[in-house]
Amino acid sequence: MLKDFVKGIWRENPVFVQVLGMCPTLAVTTSLINGLSMGLATTFVLIASGLAISSLRKVIPDQVRIASFMIIIASFVTVVKLLFEAHIPTISTQLGPYLPLIVTNCIILGRQEAFASKEPVSRSLMDALGMGLGFAFALVVLGSVRELFYQGTIADVEILGSWYKSMIIMVQPAGAFISLSILVALFKKLSSRG
Amino acid sequence: MKQIMKMVLVLTVLGLVSGLVLSLVSNYATPIINENNREAIKEAIFYVLPKTEDYEVKTIEGKDIYVTRDSEGQVNGYAFTASGSGYQGTIELMVGVNSNLEEIQGIQVLDSSETPGLGGKIRGGNFKNQFRGEDASGGVSLVKSAPTEPGEIEAITGATISSKAVVDIINKGLDQVQEIMGSGE
Amino acid sequence: MELFFIFVAIVLTQNFVLHYFLGICPFLGVSDEMEAAFGMGIATTFVMTLTAIITWNINTFILEGFGVQFLEYVSFILVIASLVQLVEMFLKKYVPELYKTLGIYLPLITTNCAVMGLALFMVLRDYNFVQSAIFGFGAGVGFTLALIIMAGIRSELMEEAIPEPFRGTGITLLTAGLLALAFMGFSGLVPV
Repeated sequence: MLKDFVKGIWRENPVFVQVLGMCPTLAVTTSLINGLSMGLATTFVLIASGLAISSLRKVIPDQVRIASFMIIIASFVTVVKLLFEAHIPTISTQLGPYLPLIVTNCIILGRQEAFASKEPVSRSLMDALGMGLGFAFALVVLGSVRELFYQGTIADVEILGSWYKSMIIMVQPAGAFISLSILVALFKKLSSRG
Repeated sequence: MKQIMKMVLVLTVLGLVSGLVLSLVSNYATPIINENNREAIKEAIFYVLPKTEDYEVKTIEGKDIYVTRDSEGQVNGYAFTASGSGYQGTIELMVGVNSNLEEIQGIQVLDSSETPGLGGKIRGGNFKNQFRGEDASGGVSLVKSAPTEPGEIEAITGATISSKAVVDIINKGLDQVQEIMGSGE
Repeated sequence: MELFFIFVAIVLTQNFVLHYFLGICPFLGVSDEMEAAFGMGIATTFVMTLTAIITWNINTFILEGFGVQFLEYVSFILVIASLVQLVEMFLKKYVPELYKTLGIYLPLITTNCAVMGLALFMVLRDYNFVQSAIFGFGAGVGFTLALIIMAGIRSELMEEAIPEPFRGTGITLLTAGLLALAFMGFSGLVPV
């Protein structure tokens, strides 16, 4: 059980190792808080649809598997989007269309196919929790790095001091690709050693 | 045949349950979302016309105009939204003018996707405050150095296109409002 | 003129892949070979154009018509999934040669966030029918362009001695970063 949980965070990290869910990873990580909210929203959808699909796995016929998964996932995403818009409107605006795009996040459909549709509810829960938090972890790291080098802050707390000149490229598309590239390489180096 | 029946049944039930749950959540969330949007508009109006105590919406020729009143109940100005193309996408502004439509009282950026750190600075106080009390009888114009004439706005360094876009949007909106308010009275 | 601006903007200045980060998974996955990249690009462009046309109608006449916008995501994703399936069946039956080339890429398009993103952007921007169709087609062309450029660069990179940790994903992302930087040169080309 614990293994199902831990693998998602490090050894099979969805972003750094499996390179999945790239769209939100690159698009919303302009600051720590954005990365964190996207990570948690995705985790919620992963857990909720994992639970639903795992408990319905014996009822859903194989041929309409994907369509059924899509309905379930898209419904939970709509719930998240409506709740975000109602209770944290600023974050909802910041994430923009990338919040509903959780629907097509390959991590979610991937986990349902690979895990939740085959395994019992309890194991699917641990798997979804691990993968979700692993995704959130990656987004937080990338968000912090980009925010730090953009304006010298992390979560709006000044780290580098006022001498730091802001690097606009870090919050632009090019900066996103380049920072993620360096992080992926770093992660590979670290995990190959350990 | 039995297999197909089951497929159709599962999909229908899933669709129905999904529709039901979503309509419940939507019924719960929509009023709060509308309230949030009203709140955002209200905040922007109070920002562009600082002396405002209360306001009402008047729709003239399809355009929403917010008529604002000060603490003595006098009309102290009008606020309206205006939008147009920026450098990266649409910019939406709230513009406040005094009661004879000749002086800008303030502007607020409601929505923009301009480059952070460059065009994004149109959201900053340094740029927005230039518009406070600016003579707008002949529209505002953009200059690249410190303004000398009334109605002149200094562009943000490195973001001339975004600054120009804001000025153009304001002028266009102002023209439209002056025209419909003029003909209405 | 306005339609032309929409097209140029979505192909160059606001390229789906390099500006909005949409469709990154296939961008990283199938850009290692020119032929595959081209096939994927064409198949996606086809599905995107159709998606734009169909989701516009659904959104205007059903979702807005009946005031059930909360079903937006569910209905869009179902449209895309069934569209992909239909295109697959159609090609298999009537254009088998084309199916042989594109077949393997088609199922991947369902989870390509560029297609779903396209439908969402259309609604957000309040495009009319013709604008939507142009937008959908342009988004596909932009996606294909990015994929082909990337495939070209990657085939050159194969010969190079890349430091171990950067091999694979690392160098591809780095290249994408430089491409995004190059595409920034297009910004301001047309009003958006």
